Amino acid sequence: MQSINVYIVKRLGQFFLVVFIGINIVFFVTHATPIDPVEHSIMAAAMFGSTSPEAINMLREALADLYGLKGSLWDQYWTFWKRIAVADFGPSVSSFPTPVSTLIGRAIPWTVGLLLTAVIISWVVGNILGGLAGYYRENRLLKAAGVVAMGLHPIPYYIIAFVLLIIFGYLWPVLPLGGGYQRNMTPGWNLPFIGSVITHGFLPALSLVLVGFGAWFMGMRALVSNIVTEDYVVYAELAGVDRNRILGSYVMRNALVPQITGLGMSLGAIFNGAIITEQVFGYPGVGTLLVSAVHAGDYSLVIGITTISIIGVAGAVLVIDLLYPLLDPRVKIG
Amino acid sequence: MTAGAPTTVGAAGQGVAEAPQPQPVLRVSDLSAFYQTHYFGIVREVRAVDDISLHVLPNEIYGLAGESSCGKTTLIKTIAGAIQPPLNVVGGSVKFDFRGQSINVYESTPEERNAMRWQHLSYIMQGSMSVLNPVRRVRHSFVDFAFRHIGRSMPDFLDTVVGHLERLHLRADVLDAYPHELSGGMRQRVTIALATVCRPEFIIADEPTTALDVVVQKGVLAMIRGIQREIGSSLLFVTHDLSVHANLADRLGIMYAGHIVEEGPTAELFASPRHPYTVHLIGSLPRVGDAAPKKGLEGVPPNLADPPPGCRFHPRCPLAMGICSRETPVMEWAGPGRRVACFAAEKGITA
Amino acid sequence: MLSILKDLLRYNREFAAGAALLGIVVAMSAMSALAPMPPDDVYVVPPDLPPSWTYLMGTTSRGQDVFWQLSFAIRNTLLFGFIVALLSRILSLVIGLLSGYLGGFVDRVLMSINDTFIVMPLFPILVMFYFVMRDRMSWAALALVMAGLGWAYDARLIRSIAMSLRTRQFTEHSVYSGMSTRQIVAQEHLPYVMPIVFSTTMNNINWSIGLEVTLSVLGFTNINTPTIGVMIYWANQHTAMTAGVWWWVFFPVALVIMVFIGLFLLAVSMNEYIDPRSRLSRMRSAKT
Repeated sequence: MQSINVYIVKRLGQFFLVVFIGINIVFFVTHATPIDPVEHSIMAAAMFGSTSPEAINMLREALADLYGLKGSLWDQYWTFWKRIAVADFGPSVSSFPTPVSTLIGRAIPWTVGLLLTAVIISWVVGNILGGLAGYYRENRLLKAAGVVAMGLHPIPYYIIAFVLLIIFGYLWPVLPLGGGYQRNMTPGWNLPFIGSVITHGFLPALSLVLVGFGAWFMGMRALVSNIVTEDYVVYAELAGVDRNRILGSYVMRNALVPQITGLGMSLGAIFNGAIITEQVFGYPGVGTLLVSAVHAGDYSLVIGITTISIIGVAGAVLVIDLLYPLLDPRVKIG
Repeated sequence: MTAGAPTTVGAAGQGVAEAPQPQPVLRVSDLSAFYQTHYFGIVREVRAVDDISLHVLPNEIYGLAGESSCGKTTLIKTIAGAIQPPLNVVGGSVKFDFRGQSINVYESTPEERNAMRWQHLSYIMQGSMSVLNPVRRVRHSFVDFAFRHIGRSMPDFLDTVVGHLERLHLRADVLDAYPHELSGGMRQRVTIALATVCRPEFIIADEPTTALDVVVQKGVLAMIRGIQREIGSSLLFVTHDLSVHANLADRLGIMYAGHIVEEGPTAELFASPRHPYTVHLIGSLPRVGDAAPKKGLEGVPPNLADPPPGCRFHPRCPLAMGICSRETPVMEWAGPGRRVACFAAEKGITA
Repeated sequence: MLSILKDLLRYNREFAAGAALLGIVVAMSAMSALAPMPPDDVYVVPPDLPPSWTYLMGTTSRGQDVFWQLSFAIRNTLLFGFIVALLSRILSLVIGLLSGYLGGFVDRVLMSINDTFIVMPLFPILVMFYFVMRDRMSWAALALVMAGLGWAYDARLIRSIAMSLRTRQFTEHSVYSGMSTRQIVAQEHLPYVMPIVFSTTMNNINWSIGLEVTLSVLGFTNINTPTIGVMIYWANQHTAMTAGVWWWVFFPVALVIMVFIGLFLLAVSMNEYIDPRSRLSRMRSAKT
């Protein structure tokens, strides 16, 4: 029992390290570089009309305060952490005066829903088919699936999403493009709305699933073709244990252990894929919000989204790490 | 014990049927199995098991000895029907005659082989460290391996297993442990329990004690022998360690480079080895009070992908003659229950 | 080395297919040297012409020849991927070998940092980087930042190989014979690590080109240096698909997919060549 505690403490430590390094990167990129977000915003404001020099000065003061840019770099660093601790990123400039945290809070369920659905489908389907393909190496259908996986795996999320957009947007327009649901509907727990959410989410989810499927399939097939040569599998085969039992309880069960580790390690990359895909399909999640924040020059929103993304991904990885001992009893000794 | 067994075997060997002859449980005839590989356009053939015949009687412990990579493990894998490409059987047969049921391993269907496994034929594999599924409790291995053969209700079955574990001085709670939680000796005893719980008529054991330290090794050997005597099964036992064979085996076969070169009752073989290779093997065993320096053998075991012509031992043999490099000696009867494949031994010359 | 390549080409279908795909792509990028016009010029040919014998891949709405534009774009994209891979290889080699070889405290610290970079969502950070740099964002700056962020996964791989090397016999021999750590790593271990480095290089080039295309398409890079992503960006700006100018999008996308699959096939076949276990399974499938 002692060692399981050590394991938990180590994983927690890794979580805090990711958050710490990530937020430092955010701070130093935004505060220790030559850009001045205040001047940037004032220029944007000045473009919209006549502003007196006094008004500009007041605006300059207010913005510096708002962005936490007052005092020395050290003061700013301290302010930065204090604000993150209470999730206060100030108001958004592009949708003034809505707070950044409200905007992000509105977008997060869409991203999380999309990610969860896509990750679960691609992980489960990819692992099952990849495991079967590694075990029944001569099956033609599974070999064909292997060729598909090999073709899909190296293509980045953006290109897959873009190709799907072209196919279903221009060549064969059967699915809705853009948005999370039909514009004239009011969100609620009713069948038409849920149906609309599913049809709108179908293409973004499909492009995430396609790339993920390739990766999990290839990984699982390689793992299984190594595990079938392990002594405990050979021994069970020698003993005439039922083939399905061997595949399930011996081969796949052992291959799941590294595949769970792999899921934790690739969550960051999958998250990248999700926000790129959202942007391609205009899905109302964090990714679309981030791109529009950049285009609108919304300083606090960009910082807010980047920070929340880092904390969110690190948290998800932590959850997977903590589930891991349930799958692998050997963790308890180390 | 040891005195009785060899004489019966000896009679069988000469074919002089006096007492009622027990039917062999295992009969291997002219068996050859090669590793055949095609990779990047290069074809290779490794003759790991080359034209081997032997038989094992009921209630007998047959030992196979030889240095590493002489084909011992490949031979017993082939006998167990546990081979996969690139290892292929290219000739000969393996027949088991269990009480009321016989099976020709390489002419049977996979279903027939699976039905035979564990109930009649079980296997103790080399490397007890890794033969148990690392992510499941020991209990599941027993259920997966033996439940369908024993055919009782689950609580009854587990009672049987616990009773069997006791014979190997294992407590019932090992069933709830994961393999990594057991010590090496315990894990080895668990695999022996796993291999014997169905009381099979034939057990194949591949270096079952090599990874253990000497003290544990002794205890495990005694247990293997005890269980074998108790359930009356035959044991085909492989190790490179001749002192283990001296303690355990009724009859011994010596392998060199894919061939069996000599075979006979253990005590007689140790007392009067005929083949120069056997002489060398036995001569290299340490004896207390023996101060004379051991003579080493010149050269290295041959490459089985390209074995020397004639007798495969001739490049290293102190008695090599002209014929040895031209013709391959066959296994000839050499006294009661003994066979040897050597032109020199045939002429009565020994090293 | 040459004979290995010959063997791979003859007997490994993945390698042959990957080499063929990359051959086409490299030939395309070499065409940029023959281009009759500089890549920055616009309205040098009639706009919006479909593919024909005069304009092999048609022309864009900005009056550029897609074929010649694409040759510059693929050249820059490949160069970008290559430079990122080269720089990040140095980082991952140094960190992986040090960590695996020294072990202990150094290993724990380096691997904690390493794992941090593995799980860090890089895309928002890169977007934020563009956000602060704006017009100062150049092709070279992006390459530098991506190299600084993209080494972690491969460092872990190299570390695990170095760890297994450390426990092998020849390492002990070298230690006893008085070689310094630097000498052992450079002379004894690098030859074992190099094949892995080659295969991870292919994957890393894929990764960096993928991110570069993505950032460019969104307009988050220097949109005046032609790359595959920048080409698609301009096509999107002129709503090429709705306007029916499909060739402006189709050829860059098809070519970059060829790059991805080609590099990936090379990496896969290289891995198979290195790993004896998959060689064994290959022999098995040859027999059954």
